[in-house]
Amino acid sequence: MANVEYRSVGKNFGTVRVLNELSLDIGEGEFVVLLGSSGCGKSTLLRMTAGLETISSGEIAIDGKVVNGVHPRDRNIAMVFQNYALYPTMKVRENIAFSLEVAGKSRDEVNAKVEEAARVLSLTDYLDRKPSELSGGQRQRVAMGRAMVRDAKVFLFDEPLSNLDAKLRAHMRVEIRQLHDRLKATTIYVTHDQIEAMTMADKIVLMQGGGIVQVGTPDDLYDRPATRYVAEFIGSPQINCQEGEIVSDGADVHFKNSEVSLPLPAGYAAHGGTKVTCGIRPNDVQLSEEGAIVGRLKIAEKTGADKQMHLDVNGSEFVAVTPRSTEGVPGDDMRFAVDPGKVHIFDQSSGHRITTTLSGA
Amino acid sequence: MRVGVLSWDRPWIWLLPLTAMLVAFTIMPLLYNIWLSFHEYHTFSRELRWVGGANWAQLVADARMWEALGITLFYFAVTLTVQVILGMAIALLLDDDEIGFGFLRTLLTLTLVVPPAIAGMMFLLIEDPEFGVLTYVLEQLGLLDKTTPILATASTAIWGVMLVDIWQWTPFMVLIFLAGLRSLPPEPYEAAMLDGASAFTVFRRITLPLMQKVIAVAVLIRGIDIFRMFDYVFVMTSGGPGTSTYTLSLYSWQQTFSFIKWGYGATLSLFTLLIILIVANLFIWVAKVRW
Ligand SMILES: Nc1ncnc2c1ncn2[C@@H]1O[C@H](COP(=O)(O)OP(=O)(O)OP(=O)(O)O)[C@@H](O)[C@H]1O
Ligand SMILES: [Mg+2]
Repeated sequence: MANVEYRSVGKNFGTVRVLNELSLDIGEGEFVVLLGSSGCGKSTLLRMTAGLETISSGEIAIDGKVVNGVHPRDRNIAMVFQNYALYPTMKVRENIAFSLEVAGKSRDEVNAKVEEAARVLSLTDYLDRKPSELSGGQRQRVAMGRAMVRDAKVFLFDEPLSNLDAKLRAHMRVEIRQLHDRLKATTIYVTHDQIEAMTMADKIVLMQGGGIVQVGTPDDLYDRPATRYVAEFIGSPQINCQEGEIVSDGADVHFKNSEVSLPLPAGYAAHGGTKVTCGIRPNDVQLSEEGAIVGRLKIAEKTGADKQMHLDVNGSEFVAVTPRSTEGVPGDDMRFAVDPGKVHIFDQSSGHRITTTLSGA
Repeated sequence: MRVGVLSWDRPWIWLLPLTAMLVAFTIMPLLYNIWLSFHEYHTFSRELRWVGGANWAQLVADARMWEALGITLFYFAVTLTVQVILGMAIALLLDDDEIGFGFLRTLLTLTLVVPPAIAGMMFLLIEDPEFGVLTYVLEQLGLLDKTTPILATASTAIWGVMLVDIWQWTPFMVLIFLAGLRSLPPEPYEAAMLDGASAFTVFRRITLPLMQKVIAVAVLIRGIDIFRMFDYVFVMTSGGPGTSTYTLSLYSWQQTFSFIKWGYGATLSLFTLLIILIVANLFIWVAKVRW
């Protein structure tokens, strides 16, 4: 168990700046999920934590001790690599056992741990194969197994489930959480999967272009995204954005564009006249005759539990999640209402969230 | 696709030139050699006469041949082992991207451009009992005294010759090993570091298994070369003192060209070839080298 601190960490590859003045505190035993689009520096941050990349500026401290100059071998960190990094000449069994053997564990203990990991990962039948004889998903599970048998201070996972099928992924999510609850080890977990992020994280760190945009609980990021970028990143299907303006005429405050006129909480009155982006989550709308949002149905997708209505609202795409019984054929006009409290308002020029002066929501 | 004699589905046309060369310069001499080994040259009548298996019988009974084989195997084992171990050690040291290492790697080719006979001459001087540098150093260290010159003492002469071979060909090993080392994937090494492995464990459990094929090929190439080594002993000791550095290749040269025993010389060289073929193929099989 250890806490990890990043103090103004920067990383250059030659002249390319990949991480910029990044600061972050990760508490002991915390499960932190790193989110961010491809190329934003997630793997680089993990690799710097592990000591595989040099730190160009700033400091990383583990357990309060600066580790900038500490050899990876001496950091006691377990990592699942994005590209697996298996030992190509070793069998699966040896791959998983390697760290235990290096640590001088007894043969019985090594075997017991390897068998246990293999059972959890459904790899028992593959223990005597070489990595080259495995499928992508099987290799990924070997990489997981290698980390799972470790008794490390910090666990780093770089998209560890990206190659697994939905069922196995759901199973592994639970296993990883249980492992974490058992070991109470500090964990940094990179993923592109919304569900993984929302279900597993104590804390989500959302990165963009080498910096951090927002840190918070999954609920924080979902309910109070700090910027439009965060709002669009979190939540599936993606949040709907409409460009417009806040219009305040005394008592009533509205978000308006040429086709939509949405009532807003009174707290936005102070921002009358501001050009804003209005974000509405597809799950926050209800079919309603008096609804403020009018759109023409383009296509209705059945997803099983419900339907996703793809509409054209004021020239831009608008998705609404409706009960599966909802009728509708392309070309129909549909109306939706939304609770004013669930509308997210972002400044158009800066992209930052505009909070109401009253509630502070 | 062109149709006609030179089309892609008639490979024998394309193979013809190579096959012709192979037949003319490899197969024919080999067959002639085999034929020769059942004959012997008679100096008086100046003709080759059929002798049946006499040459082969002589070979089996020839104490000098067995001695030469022993010397050759000893030379082979020591030189090859030293070249592999030393070559790997130097390759590991030079496998680095720091400035200057590329230059050092280039320097390695220097010994390889020296003709072996010239290298032999050089070491003849270096090991000279009167003014040789090595002799001087060893004497100063108290490891050698004036009465036992390196190349003129039966027990040390072979070591004196091995030294040239090691000096000249270790860099060859280094180059091959470096090519292998530098093409190894970096990921397993990163994983091993995080798994807490020491440098030695990493070498033993990761580098060596990954390098197995490269090492095997290097051993094969050098092994065959060392087994038929001729230049160094010819230039430096001519097999002496006594017969202490008489290798198999030098012995067959002596039989063929000094004693004009075409038949027996051919038999000796065929025997050498047989040993190389058997050992090399055993090695290929054991080391699982796939071509
Ligand atoms: N060795 C390197 N040399 C130069 N640039 C690099 C190197 N490694 C990574 N980069 C660059 O650094 C940036 C961040 O890379 P990184 O691998 O951390 O992204 P990521 O967030 O993990 O992306 P993904 O989600 O696709 O894995 C990228 O723009 C990449 O091109
Ligand atoms: Mg990555």
